[in-house]
Amino acid sequence: MSSKKLSLPTEHCETCPAFTQLEQMGLSLDNFDRVVALAGNPNTGKSTLFNTLTGLKQHTGNWPGKTVTRAEGGFEFNKVRYKLVDLPGTYSLLSASQDEEVARDFILFGQPDCTVVVTDATALERNLNLVMQVMEITQNVVVAVNLMDEARRRGLDVDTRSLARDLGVPAIPIAARSGEGIHTLLSTIEQVVNGEIETQPMRIQGTPEFQRAVAELAPMIEAAAPGVPNARWLAIRLLDGDAKVQQALLSGELANLVTRQSRADVQFSKKMAIEGRQ
Amino acid sequence: MNLILWLSLVPALLVIVFAPRYGLRTLLGNWREMRTRELMEDALKHLIDREQQGRHASPESLAGTLGLPAAKVMNIIARMNSQNLIEHRGVELYLTPEGERWALHVVRAHRLWERYLADEARLPLEKIHAEAHRREHSLTPAQADELDAALGYPTRDPHGDPIPNRDGVLPSGGGTPLTAWQTNRPARIVHLEDEPELAYAQILAAGLRLGQTIRIIETAPERYVLSDGEAEYLLAPAVAANVHVAPLPESMLALTDAVPLDELRHNQRGEIVALDEACQGFTRRRFLDLGLTPGTTIYPELKNSFGDPRGYRVRGTLIALRREQANQVWVKPT
Amino acid sequence: MPPNPTNPPDATEILAKADQLRGTLGTGFRDEIVKSLYNEAETIARRAVHAEGDHKYDFDQRIDRIVTSPIFGLPIMLLMLAVIIWITVIGANAPSNLIASGLFWVEAQAANLFESWGIPWWITGFLWHGVYRGLAWVIAVMLPPMAIFFPMFTFLEDLGYLPRVAFNLDFLFKKSGAHGKQALTMAMGFGCNAAGVVATRVIDSPRERLIAILTNNFVPCNGRFPTLIMLGTVFVAAAFPPAFASIAAAGSVVGVVVIGVIFTLVVSWALSKTILKGEASAFTLELPPYRRPNFIRILYTSLIDRTLFVLFRAVQTAAPAGAVIWILANINLGNVSLAQHIADFLNPFGLLLGLDGVILLAYIIAIPANEIVVPTMLMVYLGTGMMTDLPGLNDLKTLLVDMHGWTMLTAINLMLFALLHNPCATTIITIYKETNSKKWAALGALLPLGIGFVVTFTTASIARLFGWV
Repeated sequence: MSSKKLSLPTEHCETCPAFTQLEQMGLSLDNFDRVVALAGNPNTGKSTLFNTLTGLKQHTGNWPGKTVTRAEGGFEFNKVRYKLVDLPGTYSLLSASQDEEVARDFILFGQPDCTVVVTDATALERNLNLVMQVMEITQNVVVAVNLMDEARRRGLDVDTRSLARDLGVPAIPIAARSGEGIHTLLSTIEQVVNGEIETQPMRIQGTPEFQRAVAELAPMIEAAAPGVPNARWLAIRLLDGDAKVQQALLSGELANLVTRQSRADVQFSKKMAIEGRQ
Repeated sequence: MNLILWLSLVPALLVIVFAPRYGLRTLLGNWREMRTRELMEDALKHLIDREQQGRHASPESLAGTLGLPAAKVMNIIARMNSQNLIEHRGVELYLTPEGERWALHVVRAHRLWERYLADEARLPLEKIHAEAHRREHSLTPAQADELDAALGYPTRDPHGDPIPNRDGVLPSGGGTPLTAWQTNRPARIVHLEDEPELAYAQILAAGLRLGQTIRIIETAPERYVLSDGEAEYLLAPAVAANVHVAPLPESMLALTDAVPLDELRHNQRGEIVALDEACQGFTRRRFLDLGLTPGTTIYPELKNSFGDPRGYRVRGTLIALRREQANQVWVKPT
Repeated sequence: MPPNPTNPPDATEILAKADQLRGTLGTGFRDEIVKSLYNEAETIARRAVHAEGDHKYDFDQRIDRIVTSPIFGLPIMLLMLAVIIWITVIGANAPSNLIASGLFWVEAQAANLFESWGIPWWITGFLWHGVYRGLAWVIAVMLPPMAIFFPMFTFLEDLGYLPRVAFNLDFLFKKSGAHGKQALTMAMGFGCNAAGVVATRVIDSPRERLIAILTNNFVPCNGRFPTLIMLGTVFVAAAFPPAFASIAAAGSVVGVVVIGVIFTLVVSWALSKTILKGEASAFTLELPPYRRPNFIRILYTSLIDRTLFVLFRAVQTAAPAGAVIWILANINLGNVSLAQHIADFLNPFGLLLGLDGVILLAYIIAIPANEIVVPTMLMVYLGTGMMTDLPGLNDLKTLLVDMHGWTMLTAINLMLFALLHNPCATTIITIYKETNSKKWAALGALLPLGIGFVVTFTTASIARLFGWV
């Protein structure tokens, strides 16, 4: 995590002026500047956070897998408009079940500017598995450690600074239900999106053979699709025999991805220049 | 009246019979061609089977396997000859390199389908051979590659037979027939021969399955008695020869004091040792994703009215598993 | 292999390399990846989380031990269902009447106004007594029960109770070759079968998902509850002393629901033995921790998202249906309305099933929305030119039994037929969208209908054979 100081207030902030910088836009998605994806295990309060941010009252039942397609909403923070995409809750991105494919494809091909992984503070170990899988695909990750209130009630003390240090990405304690920590989360997202925070995602090492194989394959992918942000992950997927990634490679979709992304970057900076926002 | 009827019926019949794409004649022709192709592929499989066993195929053995009269078999042989798939040496038949490539493709397609039917379609084991046999002829090499990738590049079919890779190379290691194994030496079942079907049915009926760890505790001319530490299994020697075993690998030795997850008592802690060999495909991936990895602590926390399913606490979450699933997870009680 | 900057490797080359490297990794490669991910996660989590004391799951365990207990698990479930239905039955009556009288008063005023303006009677009739009355009826009949039922249901859903239901019932679904999560989709079906069909996405195995889709209709949805409640009240409750009437009515509805569950299981079993053959797939079901529901959110989501959503859908279908009903009832051939002609035509077949032609006509008109079955039926019986307000209970019984020959068999078979018939148009369309197959959509529609015919025919025949009617 960068040494950037987060000086913004973190506790219940509905009354302080900073909170008013969040403007819920519900479904008005015609014109947005940035895309943020919400990933997370089932039952981590992902949909609650989605509702808090967008103002949409999407229903959130407490049973596994209730969000099966992705929901979209919008919010505005510090005059930048974000599209928020709520991905299906999954334990992993490897199994290729229907919901996992929706989530994975969006993070890989939808190229969100930032992916927020919502985790359950009371079952962190299980949740970090997904965090690390997401960090393999993209490095613009913010971990939202949700249900902090629940954790306190159960006598759990979660040290998010230790977490951020180990993971190499920001980890923000929140309680989506009461709104605790939402402002800090938003400003962290903002900083990750415009590069003020540089993340250094932790990645698993694996066996020596595995490392050798990845080291051999990843440069080939980078050469075939210059600028691809996740050659390492793609290499792992190819080693695992992921049919979808194989197809994307054969059809040239991977190379397209990269150009699409850089075009979006140009457009955004142009817009910023014209409207004088920073 | 009758005349009008006939005048309209006759052209209709002609269309039905001779229509270019879906006419009966075309359909019949297509069907014939497919049937010939199937027979030819079965013949190629027979030849490679024989070659792998170090025996030679002949028109007679071919007729026996295909269950066809000699005249028809000669027809097929002639056809394969003309396509340069086989060659004669006296009455013995050999595959040409081209023929071997095709034969290996069919074997590959068959075993991949078996893997698919067992892991993804979850068909009962005794049914997959016949179904795979039906499907093996309609797979192109490219489609076989796709299936291979989708299944995660399996090396063995559910019977433990090796699956050739895309270049026709077979993975090594086939195991030893049970009849050639020492008494009392622990062994792992690596292959169950699925032909003849009768013998295979007896193996399954006895309760043996792939990946099981067993010992021979008694051999007699009329029967073999095996044990997996709990139950005893009886097999006729002819059937026992169809069970192939291999020495226990290092990691499996740790399993010898492991029990299936289902045997843990309520609230009794266990450490996961391994997922069963028989647990493959989607189930295995799902288990791993849920955090059922070796070394993890797990315990049954919630009973159901009927004892099945049970809720297990693993990595902080309560997950319900049915007995069949719980039996695929090996744990060491702690 | 170092990348060559002038000539980048093409895709097939990379794939070949991946294949070759995969060979060096061994078969347990995927296992290894996941294992090291989890091991790393464990280390990091251990560093970050400090527990004070060891009372982590005490509260959940205590509740779980009760709601899934061998003795109390199933009874608690049934009791909860009965209580929810009972509260819906007794709570919905008064507001329904209030809304109905209000909306019908508006209709009368508007019709008078139209008349005073000299607008032709058939325009007034079509608009106010046809389209508007259809809408008014559906709102009056559906809104109160849904506004009571959905918050209670949402409460259980938010609490985390539904997965426990799946847990309790899984042994039955296992025997049927289906997935325990089917119970979750059935619970959604109580609200709306189309929503239940969409919810089947939580089932991974395509085979088990299809079973869940095809059988979802055996759970009576909210739109069918009014029919069941009316019959339960008029025929079943009337046989009990007034103090127990509402309990008896709720009990008969619960009975129908239980029959629906039995049909779900039997049909699932039959499907998995025939056209959807296969073994049960991997069953993993997460039992999430109980969460304290947020009452304001429950009220908001259940009233706005669910109640109004379902109501809006019903209104969309009720308006055209109201128009059709009005036209059928007001176009006469000879001296008899078109509706009566059709009812007469259907009557022999209806009688064979222990029903009658009017009931069948009502179910044909109600294909877009099941809510209008009862009003349509009453309209034809009374011979009025518009859908009719529910008369008092005694009048209703006189009308049905004395004037139109209803027996206990008619009532029972109508309750069965309300459970076992084709799903509404929205559900059929949803099945088509979810399966992307006309074949499955057709089967999803015809299977319950066929079963409905067989079952009602059987009960009717048995009743006649024994001379009960």
